[in-house]
Amino acid sequence: MNLILTNAGSYPRIGDTPDEQILRQTLARFDRQEATEADIRRAEDEMVRRAIAEQIEAGLDLVTDGQIRWYDPISHIAGKLGGTKINGLLRYFDTNFYFRQPVLVDRLVRECPLLVEEYRYACSVSSRPVKPVLTGPYTLAVFSLAERAEYRDLERRVEDYATVLAEEIADLAAAGADLIQVDEPAIVLDDVSFDLFAAGLRALARAKGTARLALYISFGDVSPLYERLQDLPVDVLGLDFTYSPQLVDRIAVEGSAKALGLGLIDGRNTKLESEAEIAAALERLLPAIRSEVAYLNPSTGLEFLPRDRAFRKLQHLVRIGLRFKR
Amino acid sequence: MSREKLRALGLDLPLLPTTSVGSFPKPNELQQARTRWARGLISRDELERLERRATEFWIRTQEELGMDVLVDGEQYRGDMVTYFAENMRGFEIGGLVRSYGNRYYRKPIIVSEVRWERPITVFWWRFAQSLTAKPVKGMLTGPYTVMDWCFNEYYPDRRATCLALAREIRKEVEALIEAGARIIQIDEPALSVRPQELPLAREALQIVTDGLPAYFISHACYGAFEKIYPEMLTLPVDNFDLEMSNSNLDLLEHFKRSPFTKDLSFGVVDVHSHVIEDVETVVARIRQGLEVVPAEALWIDPDCGLKTRTVEEAIAKLRVIVEAVGRMRAAIA
Repeated sequence: MNLILTNAGSYPRIGDTPDEQILRQTLARFDRQEATEADIRRAEDEMVRRAIAEQIEAGLDLVTDGQIRWYDPISHIAGKLGGTKINGLLRYFDTNFYFRQPVLVDRLVRECPLLVEEYRYACSVSSRPVKPVLTGPYTLAVFSLAERAEYRDLERRVEDYATVLAEEIADLAAAGADLIQVDEPAIVLDDVSFDLFAAGLRALARAKGTARLALYISFGDVSPLYERLQDLPVDVLGLDFTYSPQLVDRIAVEGSAKALGLGLIDGRNTKLESEAEIAAALERLLPAIRSEVAYLNPSTGLEFLPRDRAFRKLQHLVRIGLRFKR
Repeated sequence: MSREKLRALGLDLPLLPTTSVGSFPKPNELQQARTRWARGLISRDELERLERRATEFWIRTQEELGMDVLVDGEQYRGDMVTYFAENMRGFEIGGLVRSYGNRYYRKPIIVSEVRWERPITVFWWRFAQSLTAKPVKGMLTGPYTVMDWCFNEYYPDRRATCLALAREIRKEVEALIEAGARIIQIDEPALSVRPQELPLAREALQIVTDGLPAYFISHACYGAFEKIYPEMLTLPVDNFDLEMSNSNLDLLEHFKRSPFTKDLSFGVVDVHSHVIEDVETVVARIRQGLEVVPAEALWIDPDCGLKTRTVEEAIAKLRVIVEAVGRMRAAIA
């Protein structure tokens, strides 16, 4: 078993020192018409470089670009698509973070690649492999409002988001991404349609070519879904253990045919977990995974923590993970 | 019912009372002074002098506009949770965390038992009230929201954290009442975060308000309130102050299906937009509000605190509210 230490998505785009605040300041200057879009791009590049450098310094094997350029997990993708406009603020799950809700005003179309340039830049400044992350069709569909009549039907929203995201997956794979993470947190909400969720993922899986897909789910208890998640056409299942008290027991007993992304370290609280408890969970989980690889990562992206604490979390994760690496 | 309570407290408010949610933008000189103070370049006294000046400016502005229930404008606060964390025991102030877009706040970390040691907002309430004959609201952040907006490294779980905070925050409410506040607003924007925790939020608010002689308002915004409606009406407050306009008045449909049984402070202008609504738009929104709540139970205000707008935009939005309410009062009379 090869245990790969990785990040689950975002990394703080700000810190306490002045040079960690360049993106905030540039965006504020842009609002006052004192900075250009090129200035924003340069500040984002710099903060991506720092996010990657810190992940590598902490000891991760596989990094992300920290989603530094993302306004939020929903509007960053939806806003780049044709057929959408961006509306008011809504709380993102049970976090203290708010996203802007997309409104579907016309047929969804991908007018240009969404994340490929961002992925290429991240690779160019990273000495370790980079994992692109995107929000999945079901989650985007659930959080989108429908102005266009046909989109009042959730199925049509999922279908069309899946179509445009499948194109993106194909482009990311062609750009060299070996593992692509798809975040689908909306499947933990009440009154979900697992069938639509699965259909969206099937469309992405058809487009992945030789890349592997990692489905990541956070912000809710995934235990009730566990068996059905095993049947989905994805290569890795990333699970948030902080909401799922029974999950370690369940996996230890039932095993996993798929590689797992083990979200045992809480990406939402500053408190560092007991090393012994996490190690004990890993002792039970790793033998139950019938795959060549497993991933150890925080339960969510790390943008919910202050920068210094996010870094400490990763160091903590690496310290524990190294005990289990081959 | 609530009108009687207001009268019993000695408050005779006009129909459709106009008010604000809490924060107003800080004038440039105060913004700059806060930065200079943080760098140790000016004294605490100098900063406070400017905070007083800004508070006076906002009280005078609200009076000139003809608002009915005033707020101190929170010129002395960074944000609604960190300010209380800084002034109670048990917290450490953490680094910056993003709340949305390019907005960040310092999320506190609970590191030991939380304790209220001395009045936090009373000084500013007294100062603001001394400048006007209109009632000034006492303003604080509720225990559920403080719990939800802090990291917790001390208490075993969310419930223990929330109830410990409730017992301490009650002391601030008592101090405000002791000072003379009769309308007290307890902000709970986190209320809808985990619908299954509504009973916990209720239990905590009960601890904060139980048996105390004040008219209680609770403000909430940018959440999925349809998920806790109508259950939220069981919370022990007299008035819910809700963001309505940023979400296209979506909540009204729910209020039509199940009657809104408390007083409602209705957010009629969007605080996240630079655009100043025209009077007709606001009048139309008030009319829609009157379809679900009787005139005696309806208060009119912005969606949320106006601190993210410029001083000019904030005043313009308040002016539109006062004008629209004037027209509605004339129409009703």
